Amino acid sequence: MNDNQLMEDVREGRVEKLAILFERHHVALFNFFLRLTGNRAASEDLVQDVFIRILKYRATYMGEDRFAVWMYKIARNAHIDYLRKQKETVPLEEQFDEIHSLEPLPDEKAARAQEAALLTKAIAKLSPKKQEILVLSRFQNLKYREIAELLDCPVGTVKGLVHRAVQELGDIYHQLTGEACRHEV
Amino acid sequence: MKCENAREKFPDFLSGDLKLETKAEFDAHIVSCAACGEELRGLSGIWTKLGVLPQEQPSTAVRDKFYTMLEAYKDGLEAKKEKTPSKPGFFFSLGRIWMLRPAFPIAAAAVLVIFGLAGGFVLSGSGGRVAKLQNDVDDMRRITAVSLLQQSSPSERLRGLSYTSQLKEPGATTLDLLLQTLDGDPNINVRLAAADALYLFSSKPEVKEGVLRSLSRQESPVVQSALIDLLVDIRERRAVDALKALIGSEKLRPEIKKKAELGIQQLGL
Repeated sequence: MNDNQLMEDVREGRVEKLAILFERHHVALFNFFLRLTGNRAASEDLVQDVFIRILKYRATYMGEDRFAVWMYKIARNAHIDYLRKQKETVPLEEQFDEIHSLEPLPDEKAARAQEAALLTKAIAKLSPKKQEILVLSRFQNLKYREIAELLDCPVGTVKGLVHRAVQELGDIYHQLTGEACRHEV
Repeated sequence: MKCENAREKFPDFLSGDLKLETKAEFDAHIVSCAACGEELRGLSGIWTKLGVLPQEQPSTAVRDKFYTMLEAYKDGLEAKKEKTPSKPGFFFSLGRIWMLRPAFPIAAAAVLVIFGLAGGFVLSGSGGRVAKLQNDVDDMRRITAVSLLQQSSPSERLRGLSYTSQLKEPGATTLDLLLQTLDGDPNINVRLAAADALYLFSSKPEVKEGVLRSLSRQESPVVQSALIDLLVDIRERRAVDALKALIGSEKLRPEIKKKAELGIQQLGL
């Protein structure tokens, strides 16, 4: 059964089918929130919030969009509400610093971990809009057309934003890499 | 192709969605225009690098909270259905119409007959709908159990095993997975829980066969002991041969040997 059929069943009252959708999407949703908030606990709460909202608004699911697009609309709203409530968030880079400082790593692993930490730091320095577009296009398996539908804007705008976000991320990353090299010297 | 047109296509190139009909023209421009070529290499480099970011796993609490929430929601829905309020307003309105328009009784009688017949059809099919709903719940539990049993965390696999105990009909895939878990799970607690889970489906011939086979493969005395208990409990006569073979094993601990001998006696009673 595909996602849309499952969600149609949920809409018709067979709410137990939501368990299958949860199993398919909760890790991706968690990573979506984690990359935007940098906070594991908040990201877990937000995942829960999305599934509560899916049940609450199940009657409004029209089955026209791909389920994932509808789900990410809900996820964006949950994130916006979270940002309104949350004035201070833990920067994403701190999360990764914490994870990777737990144990010493072999050289290759350590290099990848350092690269990941720098990229995370760089993403956190982008504007929220650019962060979101980058995460949606690079990690959440959504097409530009679907992101346009999600953000309610033309596809051209999405592509332009992706272009600028990647360009800016590259600039920030190279700047951070330079700083990291200077620190090592 | 102009630089402006080529740059518009950079995002499609990054996501791998560049249309085939424009690809040749795009490639030609990138080769001939140093500025566009350099920019694209920079963008591709960082886009590819993003692949090193790990996919993080949420804690097990997320799954626990979700299933608690879903169960509560389902209970709420069912309670709501039971408490559906009657609508006195409808009968009041009907009475008013009846009084105002005398031709209504005939039409109303016809409508009632039609509704009565339709209601009969619906009620005769309601058993089927309930059964279907039960099957849907069973399907959901089966899928969840199978998914959890394949997780790398032992606590998740234990949760998967607890789900199987709620199944009315486990299905071949779940049974296979339960037997595989019993045979080869690296965690002893999970293997023990799999033995308990299989007890519920021990009337099935494939489960009896699987447990018998598994007994000879187990090296942990705790699991061997649990399987002997299981085979004695379900009165599986063929277990006598399996137990004799086990007793003959050199590595067998004395206490398990004793237990196997006792098992043979109990099965012979």
